[in-house]
Amino acid sequence: MSFVLGLRLGRWGIAGFSVAALVSAFVQTAGFYQIAGHTAAERTAFGASMATLATQFVALFPPPIRPDTVGGYVEFRGIHPLAILFGVWALASAMGFARGDEERGIVEASLATGTSRIALVASRASAFVAAITAASAAAGAGFLAGVASGHETVELRGLIEDLALLVAVGFSCYGIALLVAQLVPARMAAAAAGGVLLALFLLNSLSRVFASLATWRWLSPFRYYDLGQPLPPGGYFDTRALLAMLGIGALTAAGAAVAFLRRDLGGALVNVPLRSHRPGYDASPTVLWYLPLARGLYERRAGLVAWTAGMAVLAIVFVSLTRTIVNVLLSVPALLPYLSSFVHQQLYPAVLGFTWFNVAQLLFAALAITYVARWSAEDDDGRLEIALSEPFSRAAIVVERMAVLILAALVITAVSGATLYYASHAEGIDLNPGRLVAASLMLVPFALVFAAAGSLLAAWNPRAAVGLLGAFAFASYLDTELGTIFKLPMWLQDLSAFKLFGTPLLTGIDGRNLALMMLLALAGLGSSILAMQRRDVGA
Amino acid sequence: MLPEMGAAAIRTSQLTKDYGARRGLFDLDLQVSGQEVFGYLGPNGAGKTTTIRLLMGMIRPTSGSAHIFGMDCVRDSVEVKRRVGYLPGDVPQFGSLSGGEVVAYLGGMRGGVDTRRVHALAERFELDLSRRFREYSSGNKQKLAIVLAFMHRPDLLILDEPTGGLDPLNQQEFYLLLREARDDGATVFLSSHILSEVEHVCDRVGIVRDGKLVRVAQLDELRHIRVHNVELEFAPGETIPEQQIRDSDGVESMTVSGQRVACSVHGSFEPLLRAVSGSRVVDLVSTEPSLEEIFLSYFKEPKPKLLKS
Repeated sequence: MSFVLGLRLGRWGIAGFSVAALVSAFVQTAGFYQIAGHTAAERTAFGASMATLATQFVALFPPPIRPDTVGGYVEFRGIHPLAILFGVWALASAMGFARGDEERGIVEASLATGTSRIALVASRASAFVAAITAASAAAGAGFLAGVASGHETVELRGLIEDLALLVAVGFSCYGIALLVAQLVPARMAAAAAGGVLLALFLLNSLSRVFASLATWRWLSPFRYYDLGQPLPPGGYFDTRALLAMLGIGALTAAGAAVAFLRRDLGGALVNVPLRSHRPGYDASPTVLWYLPLARGLYERRAGLVAWTAGMAVLAIVFVSLTRTIVNVLLSVPALLPYLSSFVHQQLYPAVLGFTWFNVAQLLFAALAITYVARWSAEDDDGRLEIALSEPFSRAAIVVERMAVLILAALVITAVSGATLYYASHAEGIDLNPGRLVAASLMLVPFALVFAAAGSLLAAWNPRAAVGLLGAFAFASYLDTELGTIFKLPMWLQDLSAFKLFGTPLLTGIDGRNLALMMLLALAGLGSSILAMQRRDVGA
Repeated sequence: MLPEMGAAAIRTSQLTKDYGARRGLFDLDLQVSGQEVFGYLGPNGAGKTTTIRLLMGMIRPTSGSAHIFGMDCVRDSVEVKRRVGYLPGDVPQFGSLSGGEVVAYLGGMRGGVDTRRVHALAERFELDLSRRFREYSSGNKQKLAIVLAFMHRPDLLILDEPTGGLDPLNQQEFYLLLREARDDGATVFLSSHILSEVEHVCDRVGIVRDGKLVRVAQLDELRHIRVHNVELEFAPGETIPEQQIRDSDGVESMTVSGQRVACSVHGSFEPLLRAVSGSRVVDLVSTEPSLEEIFLSYFKEPKPKLLKS
């Protein structure tokens, strides 16, 4: 019964991630046939350029095998990103069970039926495995459909092994997140579990650049995922690595079940005893609570500090990776004429601008999604209703939400931009300060486009808003990645904030693109105000 | 829009919210005067919370209108809410914020909240505002909702089942607070399915069922209209006119035990008294029904008549 309940509660995630996996795999596969050419020579040249491109993503994905083949290309462009996406899904799903359902009383109600805690953990973990298997199968179907469109065939065995790796890495992330969530107080669970998963991911991926980390990468499930690339011809599959990931998932889920047995519902395994204190009968004296906008930022101060610090650290990591990437590029003789004629003195800023601002865009889209998730949750937990019982119009609520996001984005981009500037200066890479400020500020309207779309979705259907916004962000990313390949109309490509962001560190801000972004954001904001004013709250 | 002078605190006209499948609220005509404590009774799913959400402008009516102090609940919702204190049926979840932070956050949105009033209310209910909301028991969460509704001394209190989760002592304290608010000039609209609560504090009662208002009455009036439980004791050796009693208009559920007869009487006593007029009755006890019994008698009827006050 808990198994079915787990599937029922996660139906939006299953549907959303399955569609994303299907579309992503199909588009990348079909895209390969559009851009890779048809003769052996064309494909060899294409493979070489992909291998060069891959060096810039060495901190995210392992180097591709045979990117001149559909299997190698899709493994690199389609399947590896899905592994990260499924890791995020595993985190969200584990938090939903371990803490969200507990706060809503669903766990208490389930235990009251006589279900044991171990059985509950086992059934919900099984439900997640079933869900991620379905989404992986969808990815496989998308790949096969794409291959059929190119009139080729592939070996099914490699595909099945690849999908098994996806399921295993997702399951191991789920188990780890579930275990961490048992150990810490509810309010810290998502941050702690997310931090652990991010650390494990970076431990493995940065070990490709920093040899000193290689000693410890066996701790990371992503290391075992890296040990197999079965999709391309001549690829490899390590059964022991698959078993290691499944073992990590099973062991951590079992550890989570044991911790769950030993802790109180709503509490943490490691409890800090409450200090005796005199009861307080006064409202908080902190003046920030009484100031519009400031109260929104102050309420999320922990998240804001985490985002700001995290982005600043990432900026430092990317600066330190830049020299390595540039050295790889310079070691390719065929690239030298191109590099000297096109980017001339700007090689380092070009690489840094490409890598850092690409990742920053993804992270700012994620920031907007977390804010929209919060707006949706406020609808569900009654906070919107109580806020609307104050003399505050619905339009004012929507505008204040967006304004808080703008302020948060400004703080994060200011700190990460300054960090990038000083870190690159320390590395001997001189960035144009004006361009850097402009490029960093462009991240704010970029986030605003997603937040405005999310605001509209949250006003229209709060329960589906996060899933739909995730799909929108994904579609926007695909739009900019594949728009030129599939020769999509320009107006359609211009709907993607990723495309509109451009390359401001190298070429400055494009006024037309900025105006389009602002227009999209304003359209989203205006329509979300209208939708909010017309909808029922709490019904 | 300026509020009408001397307007009723609450006035609804043909107010309807139709969710389909006969769910919702239909054709509600209701008027609550200033300084009145109005109880709104009904079983779960009857339409109480829908009515309250319509009054608060949370949901939009399918048809009809609702006015508070003469202001339209949808069009003038911001002005309306300046004068209203609201306690929702489900206490919102504030996660890791402390009670004091919740009060500051919502007080900051409203502006002009008297911090001494907050202190007095929290102290009165022994609510520790320095604790995190997540650590509160359900009773303490309800107390926080009470503080939020009363902290700005509103002219109208709209309370959706306000005593859920409170222990009896705190319930009594809450009733006292309601009376004080009324004495200070506030109007109260209180929904409940606890009749004793309404008996404690309300001047008038509306009963809603299946989305329709089936009765509005003064509390006293409501007690007297429907049914009395009667016990008669006949003298030893006296023949009981059993058939005459049974045939009397309004007499139901008759039982005979020795010389004692128990029955319930709907409406006038006259037919029963005529039936026993030739017999020696040594004792007659008529028990006033409790509000609980009135309530149950209404909801036992498969199709209640629509009555107007």
